[in-house]
Order: sequence, then C-alpha cells, then structure tokens
Amino acid sequence: MLVRFWGTRGSLPVALRADAHLAKIAHALFVAGGRRFMDEASAVRFARSKLDFATAGTYGGATPCVEIEGGEEAFVVCDMGSGLREFGLSALRRCAEGHPRVYHFFLSHLHWDHIMGFPYFRPAYESGARIVIHSGHPDAEQALRRQQAEGAFPVPFDALKARIEFVTHPTGERFTAAGLRVMLIRQASTHGSFGYRFEQPGRAVVYSTDAEHSPEEMDKESEFEAFFDRADLVICDTMYSLGDNAGTLREDTGHSSNVVAVDLCHSAGAQRLALFHHEPRYSDLDIQRMHAETLHYEELVRGDRPRLEVICAYDGLEVEI
Amino acid sequence: MDWRLRNDGWRLVAAPAGRVDEDSWKDFSTQLTGAVREAVAASIPLVVDLSGLEYMTSKGLRALTMAKNEAHGAITISLAAPNEAMRRILTISRYNMLFPVVDHIDAVR
Repeated sequence: MLVRFWGTRGSLPVALRADAHLAKIAHALFVAGGRRFMDEASAVRFARSKLDFATAGTYGGATPCVEIEGGEEAFVVCDMGSGLREFGLSALRRCAEGHPRVYHFFLSHLHWDHIMGFPYFRPAYESGARIVIHSGHPDAEQALRRQQAEGAFPVPFDALKARIEFVTHPTGERFTAAGLRVMLIRQASTHGSFGYRFEQPGRAVVYSTDAEHSPEEMDKESEFEAFFDRADLVICDTMYSLGDNAGTLREDTGHSSNVVAVDLCHSAGAQRLALFHHEPRYSDLDIQRMHAETLHYEELVRGDRPRLEVICAYDGLEVEI
Repeated sequence: MDWRLRNDGWRLVAAPAGRVDEDSWKDFSTQLTGAVREAVAASIPLVVDLSGLEYMTSKGLRALTMAKNEAHGAITISLAAPNEAMRRILTISRYNMLFPVVDHIDAVR
C-alpha cells in the first residue's frame, strides 16, 4: 500500500504569501553563508540536507484529500477537499497510461472543506468514468448536489458525465471495496463524522479526521483504540493543542489534538501516526514546531512501549506501508 | 497512582504520585473531583502538588479540564512543582495557559 497526501490543511485552503516566500529564501541564504554551488542539483542537495522543512518546503494549503494506492483496479480516495483537483489531474495522466477509470471515495463527513474539490474533479466530467462514493451519511448525495446548485456553482451536478453511485454504510461492519476490507467508526463532530480502517492481508491504514475526543467521552475511547489496533499508519486530525480545545470557542467544533492522537496510537499499538488537518492560520514554522512538540510528547509518555513513529503530513507526502 | 489530600485550613493540597495514564486516570479524576467539591465547599483554593508525579497523559490533562468545569470558577486550581517532563507536557498541551503553574506549593497564597 502507498498513501499519498493531496490535501492536509483543515477548514479552509490557504496559500503562502509573498512575504512568507521571501522569509524562506532569506533564511536559506543566511544558512548557506555565502556558499557557492556548482549547479542547481547541488543546491537542491544542500537544501534537502541542511535546511529544515519549514524553510526548504511547505506543508501546503489544500484541504483534505488522501489517496490510498493498493486497491484492485480502482483509485481509492479519502475525502474530496481542494486537494482533489490535483489528484484528478494525476489520475487522468495515469488513466491515459491504462489505469481503470474507477474511483472509490470514502467521505469522513460533509463539511465544505471535505467536499469542495468535487466540482473541480476533472474525471467527474468524463463519460466512461465510474465514481462510487462511500459514506456513513445518508445525505451525502444531497450535500454534493447542494454545492453545485444554481447560485453556488456554474455546472449543475446532473451535467457530470461520469456514472456516480452513492453507498451508505453502517458502522462496525466490514465490507469490501476496490479489493480492500473497509470498516467505519462513528466520530464526534457537528453532523457526525466517520473514520475508516482499510485493510489488506497484513496491512492496515486508518483515516480518522474531524473527530473530537472530549473529556466527558474518555470512557468510550477504547472503541477507537480497537479501531486503530496495530495499524501500520493512523492519519489523525491534530488541528489544535489540547488546551486550545478546552473551554474555548474551539470546543465542540469536532477536532482533536496531537497529544490525544499519540495516546490513542500508543494504546492501540499502532506503528505510525500522521499529523493531519492542519490549522489554516498556522505557518509552516508553527506546524513544524507542533510536529517537534509531538515527537517530544511521544517520548515523554512512551513508558515501556515501542516507539511510535510520528510524521507530519504535507501536500505531496507519500508513505509506503 | 497514589493520592494524598491535605487540608491546611486556608488551602487544600492534593498530591498525586506516580503516573496518570490510561490505567489510572479514572481514579485520578474521581479523587480530583472530590477534592474540587471539598475546596468549593470550604471556599479555599486547591493546589495540585505535582512533585511526586512522573508524568500525565492526555486523559489526566482532560481530568484537569473536568475538575475546572466542576469548580465553575468558584475556586482557583493551581498546579505546583511539576518535574521537567510534566512541565514540558503542560507546555506542549498549552495547559500552562489554562492553569496557574508555580514552582512550589507555597507559591500559592
């Protein structure tokens, strides 16, 4: 299995402003300290090896869209955030090389940031493409039609040429889609959200975004520990710090924190945690700092457990499972 | 986790010791809620003496949130004498922004 992140930002797409670009360039020049490079390739090697990620790269600004490669004869995609546009273009290129034009989507929930990419998903405009939209929400079709209603978008949903099917799934029952064994779990979020566990023999990936783990519901977290059980990769919403979530306007908005994600993965014996659904007001330095703090927290509370690998998702990241 | 509670008359000092983790958070939360009620009834501040605590996971932190909610602002809950690991955990979680954190229990007046 290969997990490819097309959008990792939460709530709202964001883009780097000119001053943020300039700050990265200035810091890179400062670190280079007058060094001369024979060619651009050696400059790239220097940037990769000597600069931190927040300087040499960016976590990106597209909203949630994650591809899981490894399904049989079909694309498998979690959520339709603004990252879906890039995925669609990539899929068209792969289809031109022979990949079947079959897409299985798995929707966590119907909030705007998780569906806004669909009107810009080029394969939806292609006759001959088949799109299966899996969801725990029976009103998923209504949500997608609503964002292409007159007054919201120029192309109506019914003008899409692909064959589009909606499938609503109950929680707790395994089903097979694109050759993967899939299971849903209900999560706390406004209008509810669903996490997904994807399994192949000997491999498991969990996608759990927009899930609030409130103090009052701590008794029920064993359900999540079982759902995450020994997963090779758990993708978790870590939008806010735990303190940010407590007793503020962010409480009850359906988001989680880095420390809760680490604890759930520790208890579940998961191998790797991907920090995901980054707060849109966070700069690259803020996200990098949050990643470093999470690594430190994992070490502080690890106890006798094996190390949980904590990675920070960014637009374009690929993770081999 | 061990738990000791001392009423100094003008303050209540709760002293958990060991670890607050997935095995011990319920006990910690129950004891802490009881301490909050006692402090509210006596209208005295509650000091949580962290000096004997190795570390606390998110469940312990969220138990602190529940304790704060239980107090409804009627008393001050302070966290005292955290070791270096606990100090880092409070900073990483931003709980140092939610609770007064002091170096010694006697810093709470």
